[in-house]
Formats: sequence, structure tokens, C-alpha cells
Amino acid sequence: MGFSDQIKKDFSTFTMVLIAVAIVLNIAVGQLVSLLKLPVFLDSIGTVLVAVLAGPWAGGLTGLLTNLIWGMITSPVAAAFSPVAMVIGLSAGYCARYGLFKNIWLVILSGVIITIFTAIVAVPIRLYMFGGITGSGADFLTAYMMALGKDLFGSVVVTVFTSNLLDKIVTAALVWGIVKTLPARTTSRFMSSPQRS
Amino acid sequence: MHDSSENITLYIKSESRIKRLHPFNKLAYILLTGMLVYLGPAALEIGLVFIFINMLLAVYGGVAAPVLKTVCCTILPLAVFMLPIHGFLYPDNKTVLYSWHMISLYREGLIFACTVLVQLTALLTASLLFVFTTHPADFLTALTESGCSPVLAYLIGSPLLLLPAMRDRVGVIQAAQRARGMDCEGSLWKRIQAVKPLLSPFVLGTLVEIEQRAISLEVRGFNSCRRVSSWHQVEDSLGQQICRWTMLVCCAGIIVYHFLS
Repeated sequence: MGFSDQIKKDFSTFTMVLIAVAIVLNIAVGQLVSLLKLPVFLDSIGTVLVAVLAGPWAGGLTGLLTNLIWGMITSPVAAAFSPVAMVIGLSAGYCARYGLFKNIWLVILSGVIITIFTAIVAVPIRLYMFGGITGSGADFLTAYMMALGKDLFGSVVVTVFTSNLLDKIVTAALVWGIVKTLPARTTSRFMSSPQRS
Repeated sequence: MHDSSENITLYIKSESRIKRLHPFNKLAYILLTGMLVYLGPAALEIGLVFIFINMLLAVYGGVAAPVLKTVCCTILPLAVFMLPIHGFLYPDNKTVLYSWHMISLYREGLIFACTVLVQLTALLTASLLFVFTTHPADFLTALTESGCSPVLAYLIGSPLLLLPAMRDRVGVIQAAQRARGMDCEGSLWKRIQAVKPLLSPFVLGTLVEIEQRAISLEVRGFNSCRRVSSWHQVEDSLGQQICRWTMLVCCAGIIVYHFLS
């Protein structure tokens, strides 16, 4: 059985449509939030949502495809970070599978776990592909850490971690809130959806 | 998918040999560029050669102006941060080029920054050639013809079609919540409070629609295992296939070279 047949077997049509809609959610919500000028991007809300509802691999696929499509509609630079988006989906999915999407404290913990895995993948890409600098405001932090005498690797780790932590915690909390308000007939479609209390 | 997706992706309508190339060849070329520039010997020189070749190809393909524009928009802001940060602060800095009071500019940092910028520009121009000259429909047809499940084509194609409608909906929700007195420009706390009324109707509304979409797909035989025939044809020839495989073999060769040396 080929890879694509495996995808077909694992994912029902319902999951498939959820993934397609979640990709659009990622892109549209990212735009919606940038209008409010908040210190978060929330551009992985769809990815985490799919991961919680339909499992880690569906979440990973959502993240991967989101950034690839982003590369086609804005700039190919987004495609370079597609492994990062994939890991966000995978780690969120495993957090949900092991019961971390039950109450707000566990959800905050999931946000921290997702940030750690994000950093593991994002740091090498930032470091080896972009030389540690990506042309955003976060570069000031990298420069500051380097001025304090940290090496490039350490500076990038600190930058990635701090710029993602709040975003991932808020994303996880919002998704938890959304899943709670979804009608039972929608959540019951998925095997790995958390038990409603 | 012809009309709406043309406006939304970066694809530019043009008639050239590069446009008619098989999409997989262009993808293999991006891979080869990335491998050579990042893993090959002498990154700076190879990168410059590739930027030159890619710009020639862009002129030939009739997309030189948009490629130049995107490269400037992406690489210039990077250069503005990268050159001073590495020039002043790169950890391996030794040779002073220029010094003024306490601040000095170093050679090693500048060389490192230039190499990274050249590597990125080479890879970016190669990717832009793909993005600007490949119609999404050509790419999706090529994916399906190569034996990929139509599911994958659906997952890439349908967001491109959904996005304009979703953007309209975002605008409608914004207008509606503003009419009810939502504050988008006030203090930080006011803006945080605005997240929920903006997000929840949008996210919940789209999720509720999923069921209808899934049913309409299944009714149209989406789960059928038969191979579907397509109206859309993508040109492919033996020469192009050989080219494609040669590029992939070269990539594998570069990886082996990199780990041996």
C-alpha cells in the first residue's frame, strides 16, 4: 500500500474536509489577528484544532500543507518553515492524545510542550538557513543576546523560545475553548476528541 | 479553478517554455539548487552562479520583474538586520575592518552574513521560478497523474478556492462586530477582548459547515478507488523525465559528498 492509499485509509472524508478548512483558518485567522496588533500571531490555531480533534498525523499534515500553500500565495520563505508547522500539529496531537486538553492548567502545559518541540525544529532552520536572523522584530532580541556575549546558537534558542511561548499557550487555550463549545454531533465524529465533562 | 486561483496564488499568466515544463522538473531544480548551495563546496561562488542563471531563466520566462520585486522585498529587510548584527556581533569576529570609537565592524561577520544572503537569494529565485510559472491546476494534475491520491490534490487545491470566500467572511464579521461597538484600536486590554467576538463566529461557523461539505464530496464519488480521467493535460516527455531523475541523482550525490568530506 502506497503512502497516499494509507492517507486515504486513515482519514475519513470528514477529517479531510476538516483539514482543508483548517488550512484556510490558519491563514485567515493570522490576518484577522494581525489587524488587532497583539503580540501573538495565532497562525496555527487550525493546526492545533485538527490535532486535538483528529489526531497528531492529521494535525501535522495540516501544518505542513498550510505553510506550503502559504509559500504559493505570499512568499516561498514560508515554505521553509513547513517542518516547524508540522511539528506544532504533531506535538499538539500527542498532548491531546495523552489527555492534556482537559483543564486550563494542563492546556497551558501543552502550550509549553508545543513550544519546546517547535524550538527543536525551528532553531536549526533559523540557524543554518537564515544565519539566525529572519528580518523580524525578534531579531533585536537575538542581537541583544549576542551583544551580551552568548553564541549564535544560544541567542537563537532564547529568541525562538520567548517569541513562541505566549503564542502557543494562547493558541492552545483558544482551541480548548473552541472544542468545548463545539456541538457534540461534530466532536463525536472523531476518535481522539477529548471526553466532554 | 482557473479564475479564482489565478488571483490568489503568485502565478502570473505567461507563455514560455519554462511555463510548459513539467512541474516536477521545476521542483527537482529547487531541490538541486538548495542542496548545492547549502551542502556543496564554496557556497558563496555557487550561490552567485545560481542567482545569475535563475535571473536569466526569469528573463526568458517573462517573469523577471516580479521575481526581482519579491527578492528585494524579502532579502533587503533581511540584509538590513543581518549585515550590521553579524558585522558587529558575530562570535568568531577577529579582523577589524573599520573602527569608530568603541564600535568596530569585522570581516568574518560580514562574510558570514553575505554567504547566508547569497544562499537564500539563490534558493528564493529558484522557488520563485516555480511559483510564478506554474499554474496550480498543472501542479495538481501532475500530482494526481504521478499516482498520488486525489486526496492530496484536494487538500492543496480546495484551500486555494476557499480562501477568497473566507476572506470575505472575515470582512463581514469585522464589520458586524464593529457595528455592535467592538473596539479594534483601543488599549491592549480592549484589543485582547476583541479576539473572542472576532474569532468565535468565524471558527464555529466554518466548522459547522464541514459536515455539508463532506457529504457533498461523498455524493460526488470522492472516495471512489477508480482512477479519474482529467480534462487538464500536463506535457511530459522522456527527455524531461531523464532530466528530472538526473537532478535527483545529483542531489543524492551531493548528500553523500557532504557526509564523506
